[in-house]
Amino acid sequence: MSVVVGTVLLVVAVIFFVLQPMLSGRRASLHREMDEPTEAESRQRFALLALRDVEYDHATGKLDEVDYRVLRGELAAEALTALERVNSEAAARLSGAPSGLEDEIARLRSGLRSGTTCAACGSGNDEGSSFCAYCGAPLRAAAGGPSSHGSPSGTA
Amino acid sequence: MAKNGRFLVSLVGVAAVVTYLIWTGVSQTMQYYMTPSELVAKTIVDPSFHRVGVKVGGRIVSGSYLKGDGFHGFTVEDPEQLNVTVPVEYRGDLPDTFNDRPEMIVDAVMEGRFRTDGVFEATTVLTKCGSRYEASPEALKAG
Amino acid sequence: MNVLGELALWIALPVALLGTVLGFVAGRHQRGDLQLGAERSVYAVFGLTILASAGIISNFLNDRFEYLYTASYSNRELDVFYKVAGLWSGQRGSLLFWLLFLMLFSSICVWTNRNKNREFMPYVVGILGAVASFFLTILLFADVNPYEKLGFTPANGQGLNPQLQSYWMTIHPPMLYMGFTSFTVPFAFAIAALVSGRLDSRWIEVTRRWILLSWFFLAIGIVLGMRWAYEELGWGGYWFWDPVENASLLPWLSATAFLHSIQIQESRGMLRVWNMFLVILTFTLTIFATFLTRSGLIESVHSFAQELKIAYIFLSFLFVIVASGAVLILWRLPELKSDNQIESFLSREAAFLFNNLMLLGVLFAVLWGTLFPLISEGLTGEKISVGPPFFNRVNIPIGLILLALTGVGPVIAWRRASKQNIKKSFTVPVGVGLAVAGGLFAIGVRHGYALATFGISSFVMAVIVIEFFKGTRARARIENENWAIAFAHLIARNRRRWGGYVVHAGVVVMFSGIAGSSFNVNIRQTLEPGESAVIPSPLGHEYKLTYEGMSTTSATASNSNNNFAFQLVALLRVENDGKQLPTLTTEKRGYIAQDQPTTEVGIRSSFLEDLYVILSDVADLRSAIMNEPDAQTATFTFMVNPLVGWIWYGGMTVALGGLIGLWPSVSGAPVRAPVLSSARTREPVPVGAAGD
Repeated sequence: MSVVVGTVLLVVAVIFFVLQPMLSGRRASLHREMDEPTEAESRQRFALLALRDVEYDHATGKLDEVDYRVLRGELAAEALTALERVNSEAAARLSGAPSGLEDEIARLRSGLRSGTTCAACGSGNDEGSSFCAYCGAPLRAAAGGPSSHGSPSGTA
Repeated sequence: MAKNGRFLVSLVGVAAVVTYLIWTGVSQTMQYYMTPSELVAKTIVDPSFHRVGVKVGGRIVSGSYLKGDGFHGFTVEDPEQLNVTVPVEYRGDLPDTFNDRPEMIVDAVMEGRFRTDGVFEATTVLTKCGSRYEASPEALKAG
Repeated sequence: MNVLGELALWIALPVALLGTVLGFVAGRHQRGDLQLGAERSVYAVFGLTILASAGIISNFLNDRFEYLYTASYSNRELDVFYKVAGLWSGQRGSLLFWLLFLMLFSSICVWTNRNKNREFMPYVVGILGAVASFFLTILLFADVNPYEKLGFTPANGQGLNPQLQSYWMTIHPPMLYMGFTSFTVPFAFAIAALVSGRLDSRWIEVTRRWILLSWFFLAIGIVLGMRWAYEELGWGGYWFWDPVENASLLPWLSATAFLHSIQIQESRGMLRVWNMFLVILTFTLTIFATFLTRSGLIESVHSFAQELKIAYIFLSFLFVIVASGAVLILWRLPELKSDNQIESFLSREAAFLFNNLMLLGVLFAVLWGTLFPLISEGLTGEKISVGPPFFNRVNIPIGLILLALTGVGPVIAWRRASKQNIKKSFTVPVGVGLAVAGGLFAIGVRHGYALATFGISSFVMAVIVIEFFKGTRARARIENENWAIAFAHLIARNRRRWGGYVVHAGVVVMFSGIAGSSFNVNIRQTLEPGESAVIPSPLGHEYKLTYEGMSTTSATASNSNNNFAFQLVALLRVENDGKQLPTLTTEKRGYIAQDQPTTEVGIRSSFLEDLYVILSDVADLRSAIMNEPDAQTATFTFMVNPLVGWIWYGGMTVALGGLIGLWPSVSGAPVRAPVLSSARTREPVPVGAAGD
């Protein structure tokens, strides 16, 4: 008897654990976050790292003066091209956004005040949500208490 | 393009050297790997098998172990053809996993020469790694 | 507990399958809600696997011998320590253990990426779920369920094979499994990159530490395996080119190639297809290794049919991995074009490329030699095998070239190096190498490969030392730091490079240790108490070992809890050129429920050589156990193994280098590329930027 009860409890617990976030209408982000490097930014970074290697190889005598100048020039150019791409992409992102930067900030502010914007990750949530749909942290207005609790249903 | 060509040539060169090493390595070190029954059948057809080194894998016949004067003696059989057995003589240290108890199923892989007197003179004896042993239900009943 | 444990496996399979489907659908249709469910199912499978593993351990601790697995690998008398290790002492348990690690790493991957790399995550979770489903399928349907019942309860279990009762066994398999399973994460990211179409170096950047971690565990696992063989299994040998050993070496070789070639993709945008190929190859080899280790396919002398089911499932999975990997790469081929070409033969890229080729050459040779019995049987109907002579013949020359390349790579610059500079950088190291080889020749060493190994090793070591020296000097000069601080900063600032050099140094030391085995001495002698054997060391001195007799302890009712039935210890007095050394012992042990005695060897290690003694044979074991004074005649095998300790020192150095590379950045936050204006200053990238 206890085996049957245990079995049922385990199955129900697992099903609830897996389906709960889907049923509660939360969504995970599937896009690159703003603070992650884009392809252009990665390239720029690698060009800068390569520049550093060239500096090192020069300092330890592995590159002679001529090659050093040439390589440095090439890498600096690569890094610059990447940087230009980074800048133009950033500009396109800003101008392409439906609301300007100012509006965005205002929206975040009001959201934080009303308790729909998550203090932990900055995502916006629907009115009346208790937990952030993106990171699971409790929303301040709803939770009331300290916000140091982990995600509501645990993770493993 | 010339540079790429040179690279291609060197890649092919490296591949060729590796292939050559493998080819000659195989042809100069290969050994027939046989079960006891295959070994007996082969040597009847072609007695030259008595002269070359071969590798034999068989199951140790339970209770067949005997200690000779300076050598270990035991018999191996073919798990699929139980009527053929081959006696083995070995002058090294047997692995600790060697066992001829009836309820233990132990396989031995041996390298050596099949002498004309029908005894396999092993130069190495390996028993199969212990983590693969699983007791048979009959053995557990007996134990 | 055990009922729930078995049940957990049955629940885990549908959950893992659900996670796979949810992940791919979430990715395909950009459904963030489904993705949350997919990630939850990874955690859920992890939890269920913990439950299943805990059930097995509780079966061992509570002596539940009605389970076949418990009865086969434990008995009442077994030490608690080994009862816990029972989870991975046999095939059935270790497959579950594999899954446990896979889910641990999968969960870590999902958790750490919960707020980043989101465009990859649906497919990553999908792949992780698919691999988990595969192992669950095997556990449940391939006759390897560790919860299989016997149908009756034996009075006691079979006991654990004495050779597995060694602490090496408790740590060596977990290390290898961690290496195998953690490579699933880079593989999942690579496939996610191919499917999602974000094909720049981002997936490599994200998984770089995972790749290094996997490589690190594999390296430690392999060295621990060698050590285990040396002490317990191998009569003084440590590597036998056994299929199981080869299986663990294969993914390590391709992972090593991968660690080098990703640097070319990062710095030069080249070899994109090649890196995709390597990551898929390495993952395939980890699965293949698990398959070989767990099926006994190659050496198997008994009927193949017994393993048929598990073999078919494994082979189909391998086929799916290879086929889907190939299709995905072909599909994305136009987008995987190189940004650059290799500019010169004399460049680090070229050196890395040759290193890759050589590593794959070794890999191919080892794979070919391992599978040769199967290949020949398939082609000609006759099983033909190749043994250690084959592997040594092929791998020693390639290995020496690889060793030399580790000395070449660091010295030549990226893109192109000028001939004068190379000449300048190589003069001293080549001189050192020649001097060492020449010196050894002069004192009478005539073994060709050994001379070459010692010469090349000294050359590489000199390169590495000079490299550290120059780097420190340059930094001390530029930054105005004292040498100690400059040295520490140098390593901290580019841990990948300097950690890599430390690994190379360790490999060099290991190679020298392996070359030392060309001079092993092996003497077998039967002695009566009081008699001595004289063993000449290849280093010129002489050991004299005097057999003093045997002491016995046999288990009685008083210590029935002890797993030993008896212990027969032979004492040997050791003199080195007349100088007294501590006494060596070697023994035969009998274990309860295992009546074949096992042998414990005696080893006296020093920096330059090991004196290794085996109690090969006791003339009359039964009387000796009864402590009869006339039954003390014993046969010993005495060995002197020069430089064998260097293998372990080298292995530790490799591990240290790996740790340096793995150590997290000083600042936890991801380092953003600074704007270019700051790149014109001396230090373009802040501390820790490239080390991880």
